[in-house]
Amino acid sequence: MNSVKHFNVLIIGAGPAGVGAAVALTKRGIKSIAIIERSDKIGGIPSFYKKKKGGVRTFVRWSRGGIPVFGEDYAQWLEKQLIKTKVQIELQSQVLNIDAKKKILTLVSPEEGEVNYSADAIVMACGSREETPAERGWIAGSRPVRVFYTKQLLRLLDGNHLLPMNNPLIIGSDVIGYAAAAKLKAAGASEAVIVDNCSRPKCSFFERLYFRIWSNPDYQGLSAKSIEVTGIKTASGVNLNGKNIPCDGIVICGELIPNSELALNGDIKVELHSRKPVVAKDYQLSEPGWFAAGNILGGFHGAEWCYFNGQRVARAVANYLS
Amino acid sequence: MSVSGKLFYHWMDKDFDESLKFIDTEQLGDIPYDVTIIGAGVVGCALAYKLSMYKLRVLLLDKNYDVGEATSKGNSAIVHTGFDAAVGTLESELVTKASREWPQLAKKLKIPYEECGALLIAINNEQNTQLDKVYEKALKNGVTDVQQLSAEQVLELEPQITKNVLRGILIPRESIADPFSTSIAYAEIALSNGVDILFGIEVIGIENVDGKVKSLITNCGKKFDTRIIVNVAGLGSRKLADLYGGEPFDINPRRGQFLIFDKFSRSAIDHILLPIPTANTKGVLVIPTIFGNLIAGPTAEDFIIDDNTVSDTTVERLQELLDGASKLYPGLYEQSVITTFSGVRCNCSQGSYWIRCNDGHQGIITVSGIRSTGFTSSPALAEYLIGELHEKLGLNLNVNPVAIDSRSESSWPGWWKRPYSNNELVKESPEYGRVVCYCEQISLGEIIQHLDSPLKPRTLDAIKRRTRAQMGRCQGFDCMVNVAEIISNYCNIPLNKITKRGPGSEIISTNAEQYQ
Repeated sequence: MNSVKHFNVLIIGAGPAGVGAAVALTKRGIKSIAIIERSDKIGGIPSFYKKKKGGVRTFVRWSRGGIPVFGEDYAQWLEKQLIKTKVQIELQSQVLNIDAKKKILTLVSPEEGEVNYSADAIVMACGSREETPAERGWIAGSRPVRVFYTKQLLRLLDGNHLLPMNNPLIIGSDVIGYAAAAKLKAAGASEAVIVDNCSRPKCSFFERLYFRIWSNPDYQGLSAKSIEVTGIKTASGVNLNGKNIPCDGIVICGELIPNSELALNGDIKVELHSRKPVVAKDYQLSEPGWFAAGNILGGFHGAEWCYFNGQRVARAVANYLS
Repeated sequence: MSVSGKLFYHWMDKDFDESLKFIDTEQLGDIPYDVTIIGAGVVGCALAYKLSMYKLRVLLLDKNYDVGEATSKGNSAIVHTGFDAAVGTLESELVTKASREWPQLAKKLKIPYEECGALLIAINNEQNTQLDKVYEKALKNGVTDVQQLSAEQVLELEPQITKNVLRGILIPRESIADPFSTSIAYAEIALSNGVDILFGIEVIGIENVDGKVKSLITNCGKKFDTRIIVNVAGLGSRKLADLYGGEPFDINPRRGQFLIFDKFSRSAIDHILLPIPTANTKGVLVIPTIFGNLIAGPTAEDFIIDDNTVSDTTVERLQELLDGASKLYPGLYEQSVITTFSGVRCNCSQGSYWIRCNDGHQGIITVSGIRSTGFTSSPALAEYLIGELHEKLGLNLNVNPVAIDSRSESSWPGWWKRPYSNNELVKESPEYGRVVCYCEQISLGEIIQHLDSPLKPRTLDAIKRRTRAQMGRCQGFDCMVNVAEIISNYCNIPLNKITKRGPGSEIISTNAEQYQ
């Protein structure tokens, strides 16, 4: 517990941004790098979108002429890039807390228990998650089973080959919601209803056109202040504008919020409501030697954007170290 | 913990563990029970715990698939001193008595408990005039350690609260505890002392109600013979009393909605902040939780008994709560609400703590109207009920010399005493180093340990209440499916049969088919 392993750079998160940073830092000749990942695989969110015959390709590789690919394919490509670098990879390792001033991470893993790692510079590439209904502020009602976040849906649908619902209702109309509707339809569910608190869907016209290959969900904009989830044991619908839209399962999609808790815990400056870390020039955080890359910066960016952003952050880290 | 009671679930799915399935009364032995407790909420569990100290055959029944699954799971988790209870009532007597037992009880049951103290705050003239009355009342209730504070003294204790504070009262022994572990701990010890526990069983009729030995007819088609029936069925107590024709009473469920704030809010507030009730409003409390969050609430909304929206939340009321709570602590507007919940108080129109011995017939006791104070009063109420059972229902009490009254050291929840801080343990069992719930930092080892615990919890919510996995800021975004997979693998239940709260709440729609 007291021993501290030292590195030049530590990267928290082995998603597209973290891998992008690791690859670019290696190219710049930085020798001792470790990448810390709490799940058991490399690739972050794309790795949950599995390859399937006739399945929905949701990740666009703009750098390769805008070809849509499966998330899993992209995650495997990331893994290949990372393995080539000989960066130390720590899977199933959760960072418990940080000491921002001393640049020390306390992490726990099955192999080592609690250990401390320190570094000259640390990149937070922790990604983001979907907001809870309470965080969105306009979703209330009952608390039945089968109200999922997109990640949970993917874990069941793609990870376990289980179709959790036949008549889906999707809350959240950005591209994540339309992709979920398409994936559910491709898996055999009926056409989804998408609900959001705006009159027009947030997903762009061209993206919606693309997902028309698989599905044509019905969009219902919200004119009331709120919606209520209904159902005692299992989700049975939502009350929207005074009428009940029936379903046998709900997916809560989009509206990402940065995973900046470690920064907050370590007294690195974070905007309280948006949870965006406060970033000075060159992706530097409020404590020297700390950087942020990818979706932790806020907003919603595709996997490839995050990968290239990781590379840009790597350049800033290299400058800082020299 | 060695177990001498029997535990079964009325869970007929073919994939459910055979050894836990309730099939026939033969599994329980042929002798009638001395006491059958209907309802495994905090009161039912406390009574089972206290009765297990005697040589008695006791059965604890619940229609749900875990203890504390109904009214007992949604409350403020405050252990009250009873300083503001109605003077001279049974409720006041039991609450003040229990509050003095709690520190010792929490140690025995291995329930996280913290004497954080409460501050009663006057922020306008109307409240200021009420303050002296509250002080007098506290003294009358025997809570003599209350202190009157000036505005400066209040702000010294809680610098972050509103600067409009005029005066305050400190109630040092108002405390917070883990509401979920309490019912669980009571029931685990009761089971180990020989109390039988059945889940998923609802009483739908009673035969031979005037006889010495009565027969409970249940939804599983089996009958249970018992000498004494204790009705502690909470919101279901009215319907159950109709089955034996008890004295009429009415339950008006009273909903209380709460906001739960992220843990980053907790550092600002140390005490429970209580507004002073005035003629118009009771006000909104700001309460630190033992888990490290802040909560704000409750509302008080009356419902009729069979309204099934009673545990819903509403956006309007939640906004009112935020506005109300911010009057005490303005910084709350800056904090994130991670989730919300509704608790339901079992409110009896004929008065709180509605207890009727030999209700309609010899050998039946009705216990209803146990409102939010039931969590605090549970140890004293259970003892009071045992006294009534002995004196008025003729229950013989012979002390069981081998009964235990506490849980083992290893029963402390992992979120309270982190198992992975012990590197020896992780070396021996690496699963304690594998964090599954990222927000609450709960390990695989803790989840497996609880699946193996005496009540054999098998639902997502039962695991959630024990481990806190899924209770953090992401609300299961990252770990819900992980936890479901762990239950599935460890208990040999297919993933599509994993439930939130027992049969009928499967995570996968039963019509949905597996696809490749």
